Amino acid sequence: MTFARLQQGGPPRQAIVILGLVLFTCWSAGPVIWLILSSVLEQKALIAQPPDLSPQNFTLDNFSTVIGAAASLGRGIINSLIVAVFSTALALALGAPAAYALARLPVPRADNISFLILATQMLPGIAIAIPLFILISRLGLIDNVLSLGIVYLSFNLPIVIWILRGFFLGIPAGIEKAAAIDGAGIFATFWHIILPISLPPLSAAAVFAFVEAWNEFFFALILTRQQAQTTPLVIANFAGQYQTVFGQMMAAAVISVAPVILLAILFRNQIIRGFADGMMKG
Amino acid sequence: MPAIELKHVSKSFGPYQACKDVNLAIGEGEFVTLLGASGCGKTTTLNMIAGLDDVTSGDILMNGRRVNDLSPIERDVAMVFQNYALYPHMTVARNIGFTLKMRGLDAAEIARRVEKVAASLELSAMLERLPSQLSGGQQQRVAIGRALVREPKYFLFDEPFSNLDAGLRMRMRAEVKELHQRLGVTSIFVTHDQEEAMSISDRIAVMNKGRIEQFGTPEEIYARPATRYVATFIGSPRIELVSGEIVDAGNSSACRIGSVTLPVGRRLPSGRKVDIGIRPEHVKLNTSGIPATVRLVQPVGPATHVTLDWEGGALVASIPGFVRLSPGTATKAEIDTNHLLIFDRESGELLS
Repeated sequence: MTFARLQQGGPPRQAIVILGLVLFTCWSAGPVIWLILSSVLEQKALIAQPPDLSPQNFTLDNFSTVIGAAASLGRGIINSLIVAVFSTALALALGAPAAYALARLPVPRADNISFLILATQMLPGIAIAIPLFILISRLGLIDNVLSLGIVYLSFNLPIVIWILRGFFLGIPAGIEKAAAIDGAGIFATFWHIILPISLPPLSAAAVFAFVEAWNEFFFALILTRQQAQTTPLVIANFAGQYQTVFGQMMAAAVISVAPVILLAILFRNQIIRGFADGMMKG
Repeated sequence: MPAIELKHVSKSFGPYQACKDVNLAIGEGEFVTLLGASGCGKTTTLNMIAGLDDVTSGDILMNGRRVNDLSPIERDVAMVFQNYALYPHMTVARNIGFTLKMRGLDAAEIARRVEKVAASLELSAMLERLPSQLSGGQQQRVAIGRALVREPKYFLFDEPFSNLDAGLRMRMRAEVKELHQRLGVTSIFVTHDQEEAMSISDRIAVMNKGRIEQFGTPEEIYARPATRYVATFIGSPRIELVSGEIVDAGNSSACRIGSVTLPVGRRLPSGRKVDIGIRPEHVKLNTSGIPATVRLVQPVGPATHVTLDWEGGALVASIPGFVRLSPGTATKAEIDTNHLLIFDRESGELLS
């Protein structure tokens, strides 16, 4: 067997790898497929045991109902967009320079500081929920998208710093020396050299932060009432007091995950490169 | 006044001392090479001259002015790096022009100067390419272009050819030497390749363990190495060292190695323990001389390097042309004693 073949592994090993990938794909895609199926099945067929998948049970009524009652979902999507874009943009704008400083500038105890930043993420949400609620209500920001944006920023910033720092640590020092010789100061180096070569990890961090903010439920639940409700809350509201119309709920969910999936497809190469770079060099 | 002067310069990284009391005076327009094995402090010295590393103690002067606290751009140095350090997201033109942009020149002037430099380095056809689309030699040429476009007062080269294959390295070496002859800009070149240093430099500073062992012309360094370290570092094939003891021999002294006595041509204190350095070109195979056995025969084209075993250890003879000899053959080695290099065993210094 040639070395190249040996590296690939023989047929048995390939079979195991393929089987593993198929199982993983089913595991990951299963809920999404079930979500889509649920959104296009009639309620009766959906709750039958087993679900009745005959063609006459498929319908787009759930979508037309949800879109017909678009006011709440539309507002939810707009709120989600504002909150996700705000927290993602600020997390990148603040996180990228912070990560660069922690990775490349002579910051004393940079490793400890980085660990502390990550450690803030280890607290369970419930532990900070009450103090956060009191704080936000004293500020008079309950049911305000701004408060949600700030809260999500506090979750996203550490993740962005952590992803980007890993990448920045791996950039060869020679490139910064060359920039110094060329007359670029720290800010010019960061702006003209470091940021443009960091597009993959920046995209990865951005998508990660956006999805986190887009999907967050718990803090949105306790910090909003009506006006500032985000998509996950609006969808949850489809579970009525007497009856849960699963089909409509699922149709709303399909509409709400569409932007995230679109984002992931658009940036998939950048995301994979971004995470791979961060992991290998971090 | 020297163009660049280092006065008692030392550099520490925590407890590790990378450079110890380095003194160097480089004349205007001179091409000086810092030569040494990896970890000897040559790149650290260059980085301090460039302004990329701070000096722990001592002073760096450029044209008589202390520059310790000046940035690279204020020192007016340009530098070419070992791994090229091109900006991967910029085209060749933008790579070369970046330094001019940082200096606030307008786009038309930048384009004019980039084109001029690109033409002189045969890069005109590649200005819109990215570094990843260039070969190693082309990338290094872009790195040189980036240094040239500034028209700096000093050029610094940090092992610029280490990543190139042997043929390209020779060509780039010649190009850099021609460039220096044409522009006459004071240049400092760092390398671990002694042949490269010999072929390119006006003067060489051989570094070892953070110190300068010797600073002189290639000829001085080769013919009169100040220390045993310099002698073994310079020259290919390597100089052979044999241990001996100084004895009296009439008016003059000789060195006794086992039963062999070699005249040293001057008086030295008898009983002194020494190491004798013998360069391959000073050994001939003859019908008379020291009995020796052929161990290894290595033809390299212009000469054949014959490794011999004798009483004192090993000896290499460099003989012009091709020589037919088989290992194990008994022969006689004639040593040209006028060129013996005698080093004190303890201090390693040349005894003159």
